[in-house]
Amino acid sequence: MNGLERMRKALKREEPDQVPHFELLIDPKVRNAIKPGLSNEDFHEYLDLDGIGLGDKNNAHRYLLLNKTQKLYRDQWGAIVKFSTESAGIPQEPAIKSEADFDHYAMPDPDEDWRYDNLRKAIKRFKGERAIFCGVTDVFDIVKESFLGDVVMFISMIRNPELVKRISQAVLEYQLRYIKNCIEVGADFFFINGDYATTSGPMVSPKMASEFLMPYLKAIADCVHENESLLAKHSDGMLWPLFDQIVQTGVDAIHPIDPEAGMDMGEAKAKYGGKVCLMGNIDCGPLLTWGTPEEVHQATKECIRKGGKGGGLICMSSNSIHSGVKPGNYLAMVEAIRKYGTYPLEQHLENLVVAGSRERP
Amino acid sequence: MFDFVKIRDSLIGGDIEKTEALTADALEAGVPAKEILDKGLIPGLDEVGRRFQNGEYFFPELLVAGEAVKKALALLRPELMKSGSATTGKYVIGTVKGDIHDIGKNIVIMMLEGNGWEVTDLGIDVPTKTFVKEVRKKEYQILGMSALLTTTIPRLSETIEALKKEGLRDRVKIMVGGVSVTRGYAEQIGADGYGRDAVEAVAVAKKLIGK
Repeated sequence: MNGLERMRKALKREEPDQVPHFELLIDPKVRNAIKPGLSNEDFHEYLDLDGIGLGDKNNAHRYLLLNKTQKLYRDQWGAIVKFSTESAGIPQEPAIKSEADFDHYAMPDPDEDWRYDNLRKAIKRFKGERAIFCGVTDVFDIVKESFLGDVVMFISMIRNPELVKRISQAVLEYQLRYIKNCIEVGADFFFINGDYATTSGPMVSPKMASEFLMPYLKAIADCVHENESLLAKHSDGMLWPLFDQIVQTGVDAIHPIDPEAGMDMGEAKAKYGGKVCLMGNIDCGPLLTWGTPEEVHQATKECIRKGGKGGGLICMSSNSIHSGVKPGNYLAMVEAIRKYGTYPLEQHLENLVVAGSRERP
Repeated sequence: MFDFVKIRDSLIGGDIEKTEALTADALEAGVPAKEILDKGLIPGLDEVGRRFQNGEYFFPELLVAGEAVKKALALLRPELMKSGSATTGKYVIGTVKGDIHDIGKNIVIMMLEGNGWEVTDLGIDVPTKTFVKEVRKKEYQILGMSALLTTTIPRLSETIEALKKEGLRDRVKIMVGGVSVTRGYAEQIGADGYGRDAVEAVAVAKKLIGK
């Protein structure tokens, strides 16, 4: 079984030959420390990872340099963003400062051909062998970060919900077009990035989530499925209060079952393992940054014991292999996945957690 | 006697205009600004904070309440200044060098302002020397630093050490927060306070300056 076949089986909650592994992002510092001089694609081949991720922000969005010393750019939505040593830019000034701004707003064009150049390169090299995941930023995240700014966005959800919905609809239409184009070019699967929660709990109430978050995620899930592809939803944080709603949108997988927020892979498997593929949940906070390879090895073994039985597990870090991850810890994680993740898991592990299927509420 | 419960309830209900109008009514009726703050607005905001920590309220409800208090405080400020209690204190805050996440910091600022703090926001990706420079100005009671990434957490202790080296450590109380920062880590690096969320941060800040 190759990486693509393994990943597809896991996403469909069927048992592959091996628990698959990939990361949406592996920082160049970590890659270079493990094997110097390799490109990102070479590195994926070197470690024989089952998939490769191409985030939309880094591969399919345009940034206009505003101030080199301050590392300020204008993102494609019109917000001013700042970059640091980590790869994602954070908006400093939102694109929309008043409702009138949006009346005259011109959305970027998802059909511009250059947006798919990196995807084409990945397809040329890996198609049919390794799963090619396109990262798509969640509508909620784009509206919050680039269009309105976080504080204004949350206040507007109560004070001006129609504006939030108007912008969300416009962003959704862009993203649906982007997804269709990616599928046409040859993407295998999708990974919807953007947090709905912090470590304490959801950013918005379940009721507001059903009004402002889920309709757009469901529209994306429907579009992906209509085009015979599969998708995962990523959100850091304590997601339990929203988990039923996310599952109901029809997403095929949820990442990362955030250990830093106290979410347990065994609980996720027992409650939702029959409904959705689980991805994650190796802590890229303290564990991969400051822990020992032995601790990482043990945590990975536990993740597979709790989430792997019968398939439906893609073992990954809880966010990304960022620049602070100890290279030896990432290698320990990959080694442990290969050691304990070969099916049948019973040959290496005891007390495997059985997938449950919580009734739809 | 003025019915402070109405102000409290309008705030809990997230009604910015009503909170503002009731505050104006109270001022017009001759109620001292400090009393409006202490008996109407602060209890309202405390209740919103309690509901947030209990998982009944979320960011939108918390921030709308913060906005309502900010608007009401703008009306009260001229009166408060006369009585010498215009602000709770001065707070300088920033996200450390290398870290560019600011959602948590923005919400802390909103809640501090709602509680009468005058906040200077240094923004994100703030170098240690900038924190030191600000503290040297002697204007602030509290320096708050946020770090979200495990890679940037060491900047918190570096800043505390830099302040010690410059002989400035005792000029301010230091608070730290951010997703990977724990209470234990805050103690270990010699911070004076830690806030798990915005509501706790505000309570700790008040305690640190004895209010």
